[in-house]
Amino acid sequence: MKTRNSLPAVFLAPPLAILAVLAFVPTAYAIYISFRNRELSRPDGSFVGLQNYLDLFSDRRFLNAVGVSLTWEVVTVTLTLVVAIGLGILLFEFASSRMRAVMTLLFLVPVILPRVSAAFVWKFAFHPLYGIVTYPYKAITGQPLDLLSSPATALMTVALVDVWQWGLFFAVIVLKLLETLPPQPFEAARLDHARSFEIYAYIAIPMLKAPLISLAFIKMIESLRAFDLIYVMTRGGPGIATETLDMYAFSQGFIESGRISYASSMAVLMMVATTVIFTVIWKRVKP
Amino acid sequence: MTISRFLGKAVLYLAAFSAVFPMVWTAINAFKNRVDIVTPTPLFIFTPTLDNFAYVLGRESVAAGLVNSLLSAGGSVLIGALLGLPAAYAIARYPNRWSADIQFFVLSLRFLPPVAVAIPLMVIWLDLGFYDTRLSLIVTYTLLTLATVIWLGVPAFARVPKEVEEAARVDGYGPYAVFLLIALPIASRSLIGAVAFAFVLVWNEFLIALMLTTSDAKTLPIVASELTQLGRDVPWGILNASVVLLSIPPLLLIGILSGLLNNAFRRKSN
Repeated sequence: MKTRNSLPAVFLAPPLAILAVLAFVPTAYAIYISFRNRELSRPDGSFVGLQNYLDLFSDRRFLNAVGVSLTWEVVTVTLTLVVAIGLGILLFEFASSRMRAVMTLLFLVPVILPRVSAAFVWKFAFHPLYGIVTYPYKAITGQPLDLLSSPATALMTVALVDVWQWGLFFAVIVLKLLETLPPQPFEAARLDHARSFEIYAYIAIPMLKAPLISLAFIKMIESLRAFDLIYVMTRGGPGIATETLDMYAFSQGFIESGRISYASSMAVLMMVATTVIFTVIWKRVKP
Repeated sequence: MTISRFLGKAVLYLAAFSAVFPMVWTAINAFKNRVDIVTPTPLFIFTPTLDNFAYVLGRESVAAGLVNSLLSAGGSVLIGALLGLPAAYAIARYPNRWSADIQFFVLSLRFLPPVAVAIPLMVIWLDLGFYDTRLSLIVTYTLLTLATVIWLGVPAFARVPKEVEEAARVDGYGPYAVFLLIALPIASRSLIGAVAFAFVLVWNEFLIALMLTTSDAKTLPIVASELTQLGRDVPWGILNASVVLLSIPPLLLIGILSGLLNNAFRRKSN
């Protein structure tokens, strides 16, 4: 009775072929031009082997960008999870179901905004003269507060915007995760006179370990997309204090010198690093 | 106990306030004349003006950016949905020995740093003569929309009760009719959320558009960011107005997107 069904092949082949072409052609091409010395102004260029890669490791700006990117990943992932778990628990503990519904909607606003909008909104809020966030400091001390122009605070200020977008969003997810937990362990702990914070620290959070690790994983991937925020808020400045790898690759390949091959070698290194690291993590997290 | 309750609620209200106030403040500033923005003390009471919006909407670059954004996001989302929804259905309903690998491949596309895709694509489109065209943007964004629709579509189709599809098959429906007439309508709520999410992703996309366009095909985020980089006499009101304009479409979809989130978690708990 069972006839051969053509549906899986018909439905899967075209989209997968398109995805494969769209993903592999640029990847292969990036590797190809990273072995050449092509520039934007000159369409050709010749084979230079590993020269671009060797140059990278003596390029201080590149090493700085690696450091900034790593700092960015650690800071934004950690703070996002801390904010998300904290606010998620508060929502679960103190908010009525109606308040939860309203808060859920409000907490989703930041992450839905275009990154360019979020970046501008906060850039203006942090404006040393007219900003609403810096106003109280200015009113009290009489000094303008210029967080984005100081190398010590610029990266953290941009990170704050990223955490604002993702921390609030993940708080909603943590709330939904807490809602899926069975109530019995909580009741048992309450009968044993456990304090609220003990219930969460020793029962709820450990029960949610797997989904929370997945959330951290998602945030690690999304934190790679820091470019929009940094481009609008600081352009990598002051100096190179907030220049992440994608910002540096962009300015090498596009703005300053048009060294496409050099930028490509950076892109290839990033690609290899993220693909290897994330694949390893993913295979470990998923059973 | 009441003190911790009070404090907890206070923190929540503060977080909710911080979530919406910056955008509200931007919207307020969009209705101000420049003199009311450039004040030593932030002004809450002022004479509102529509000049900023009139200026932004009257600018050719903004109008062109809006058209480019709508066409490139609309086109790539359409292709992503037309090809991605069937693919998601096939993965959800006809598991084979590659299903897990296919899903991992689709997910792993997200691991690629955008700059690593954008630099080679810029060169490829330049060489092919399609640099700075909507066509190149739509094709590039299809990578994004297709992967997103497949990734979110699989669980949506998996939640459709199998019995319903089997009943339809007994009634003589072929596999394609089951997909079109049964699975698609039943899963439509979640699928609309998935498509809306893909649209927001592309609408908000910045880096790829920045690298693949210079003038003709510039999308709205690029136009807005150029306005924010203006020099000395920054037209703050106009800036605020353009940011508000850029943010309206995603915010309109917030209801659909939070519905997607609710669906995803509600079913899991049963």
